[in-house]
Amino acid sequence: MARAMLSRRFAAIGPGGLSILAIGIVAALYLIGAPLGMLLVAAFRGPQDMLPFEPGSHWTFANLATVYFDRALYGAVIPNTLIFVAGAVTLGFSTAFALAWLVERTDLPARGMIFTLILFPLLVPGVVLAIAWIFLLGPHAGWLNILIRDLLGRDGDGPLDIFSMGGLILAQATALVPFAFLQLTAALRSMNPSLEEAGSMAGATPFVTFFRVTLPVLLPGLLAPLILAVLVTLEQFEMPLILGLPARINVFSTRIYYELNPDTDLPAYGRAAAVALPFLAAAILLLLIYNRLIRRADRFATVTGKAYRPSRFRLGRWRAPAIALVALYLAFAVVLPLLVLLWTSLFGYQPLTLSVLLSPSIDAYTRLLGSSSFWFAVRNTFLVAGISAALVTILGALLAWVVLRTDLPGRAFLDFTSFLSIGVPSVIAGLSALLLYLSLPIGIYGTVWVLVLAYSYRLAVATRLSRAALTQLHRELEEAASVAGGSWVTTIRRVLLPLLAPSLLASFLLLFIVGFREFTLPVVLQSQDNVVLSVILWTLFTSNRATDAAAVGVLIVLCIVPIILLGRHVLLGRDGRG
Amino acid sequence: MKNRRIGIGIAACLAIAALPAAAQTWQPNAAMLALYEKAKSEKEVVIWAPAAVEVGWVPEQFAKRFPGIEVKPTADLQAATKIIAEARAGRHSVDAWSFTIGGMIEVQKRDMMLPIDWAQYGVAKENIFFNGQAAATHNFLYVSVYAKNALKPTDLPHTWDDLLQPQWKGKLTAQAFLLPRLMGFLALEWGEERTAKWGRALIDDQKMLITSTPAESLLKSGERVLAVGESVSLAYQYAADGVDSGYQIMDLVPAGQFAVAALKDAPHPNAALLLAAWLASDEAKNFYEQIVHQPDIRPGSTSKFAHEITAAKAKPVLEDIANMDQRADYYKTFSALVRGQN
Repeated sequence: MARAMLSRRFAAIGPGGLSILAIGIVAALYLIGAPLGMLLVAAFRGPQDMLPFEPGSHWTFANLATVYFDRALYGAVIPNTLIFVAGAVTLGFSTAFALAWLVERTDLPARGMIFTLILFPLLVPGVVLAIAWIFLLGPHAGWLNILIRDLLGRDGDGPLDIFSMGGLILAQATALVPFAFLQLTAALRSMNPSLEEAGSMAGATPFVTFFRVTLPVLLPGLLAPLILAVLVTLEQFEMPLILGLPARINVFSTRIYYELNPDTDLPAYGRAAAVALPFLAAAILLLLIYNRLIRRADRFATVTGKAYRPSRFRLGRWRAPAIALVALYLAFAVVLPLLVLLWTSLFGYQPLTLSVLLSPSIDAYTRLLGSSSFWFAVRNTFLVAGISAALVTILGALLAWVVLRTDLPGRAFLDFTSFLSIGVPSVIAGLSALLLYLSLPIGIYGTVWVLVLAYSYRLAVATRLSRAALTQLHRELEEAASVAGGSWVTTIRRVLLPLLAPSLLASFLLLFIVGFREFTLPVVLQSQDNVVLSVILWTLFTSNRATDAAAVGVLIVLCIVPIILLGRHVLLGRDGRG
Repeated sequence: MKNRRIGIGIAACLAIAALPAAAQTWQPNAAMLALYEKAKSEKEVVIWAPAAVEVGWVPEQFAKRFPGIEVKPTADLQAATKIIAEARAGRHSVDAWSFTIGGMIEVQKRDMMLPIDWAQYGVAKENIFFNGQAAATHNFLYVSVYAKNALKPTDLPHTWDDLLQPQWKGKLTAQAFLLPRLMGFLALEWGEERTAKWGRALIDDQKMLITSTPAESLLKSGERVLAVGESVSLAYQYAADGVDSGYQIMDLVPAGQFAVAALKDAPHPNAALLLAAWLASDEAKNFYEQIVHQPDIRPGSTSKFAHEITAAKAKPVLEDIANMDQRADYYKTFSALVRGQN
């Protein structure tokens, strides 16, 4: 019976559609399987002074024993990690939601510009963001601390200290906001506001409508970014490394970093993989919770075959506080890092004086723009970030459709596998690609194509975003197209794709930006012919060429901003909400 | 494709333009000239180093000496992993490799470095490591770097122990990468217990700020005024970036040892040998000193930094094969201390 139903379903999809789905599934499994397999295998291979597949290496539990019999893990690393992640996600996610709601559901002025500005911290290397925070909240010479001490007539250090758990949470939360914001705006844009309007017409205040209507119907759209935010925060190591280290705050991600950057010997890939295993466990646990919470997916379908016309809340007297909230965020997360980046690129670390201001140097830009290798890296970066983002977005959407709209055996496995990709640290994925493409005689090792494939393992974001958006689209839309004689391909192209466009574009933008500034994978896989901008920036930074590194950072921002503006323009043009 | 240079080319070539012409002390060496003739047909040579600054200057200077052979440099701290992984897959993209002698051990253990008769290229016996598989190039000198606008020369510490005095409380910073290495050298002189006590006192009592990034922004902003265990080359670099900084030679001058090697399966074997031999020559050492301020201070050196050390009555502590393992054990221990992992 079930087999007959499945056959009918496949017949309805048609051979063209089935081919697309099959290719998508195989490609996704291939892209995720290699790094995931490498993570699992490396955790059980030793000894430490050998690579996981070198002759002489063997299966062992030594990596797990070394990592998990360490008392410091339970006394410091795990408690610190829990506090750090809980604090940063709570603060960052609630700020992102407030900003997304203001931009997408209210009549806040200059929404297009604010949308672009909020994404800014995504473009700036984490190192620059951390340095900007030190400039602001350094306990001795931080600008804000000096101001407060002057106002209070105090001497000494403080009162604020960025080198503390509180400071670390604040900095990480600020960096997390654009990541969550981009996903939340996609969810909010896909929501039919007639439900909120019905609440308002029934006499509910905006506050009541928000908590009784908006939040419940947005559950899938909120949970997916929330889960991703938790996992991304778990993996982040730049802020903990720069701001946490002075305060002796060690978390899981810094522990992995230390294992991969040992004092002597080869990187301890086995121990790093062993430390990363809880990431996978966390991903599985969170996915189970997610699936349980949204098991009745139809409850969340807010876009049906009935027409709707979006409208916006009027902020009224809340307009000024809303603008103040946005301005506060932008001041800390955008203006300050941008100033630090621009200043460093033009003046190095010189202090702010009139004579310095009158003598900016564009030497760093001249050197970069006159260098053929810079332009070569620009080309490579656009190529790798663009193609991998498009590939992952398409594959993620296909997987989401298979998981939600078919009864294909093994679809739960597909769902899990795609989600687990977020639990694989970049460096493990890089090592996996290095070993895999060195061994495969397909001639892509050392080229940009090895980077495209290596970048494309991050299917979790794309799958979650597409899945959340698909959950909000009722099946009746596809059924109507089918009844009207449309083939599966036509239905996807003319019905689903236009409705999924905000989520797909958000996914593409997010992956494109992440790809543009990704440095771990291209550093591991670098060769003469696949150098990208982030590698140049990282090389300059670690060579203490701060001015040139900052100039590359500014140029990276200039490269990405038009892409964001274009994406935003396409979206606004599509639904006429400019 | 031929003209494409990797990103690090930008990084280190930038330094060259601002430099005075290096004193040219090139002595034509018959063996090297013969090698050059053989290497010409290979047209290029790939060298890897831990950082761009170590190797970015090489293409331009090497091309002046040996026209027709293009040097392609890559900076990669994890070069050992890649060299081993490539060899295992039967691929070989690296010709020559510059690294610290401690960082070369894993590749050397796997017998991937070519034994070379360095003497014929004029390299002194005491500058040869691993039974001829590598030769000394330059040293990384550990000193203290300070903000000139915040400290007068009379304020500066002269010994590492001076840093424990009360006036330095809340004024010191150190990099988490460099401080354990400095302590490893100091432990060779002081012993493990005294060095660990010194490190703990700096961190716990003097509230030294441990960072994972270069100290220049902290010195510039005034967050800290003296960076402990930085190098002479970093002091010059910070000054070039607009940080008014200088360096202070302390009573002990630890010197990390860099070396160069040619790989056994180098795709351009003659060019690899030629580049390695030239990097171990006096001319290349002169460039290391003048361009990246990383001199060779091994016995017999004529470096101005070696004279400065003597004038300051300081004692160099050289990294060598004999003390390498002991020091590595020390700095594994001190790393955990510095990172707060014990």
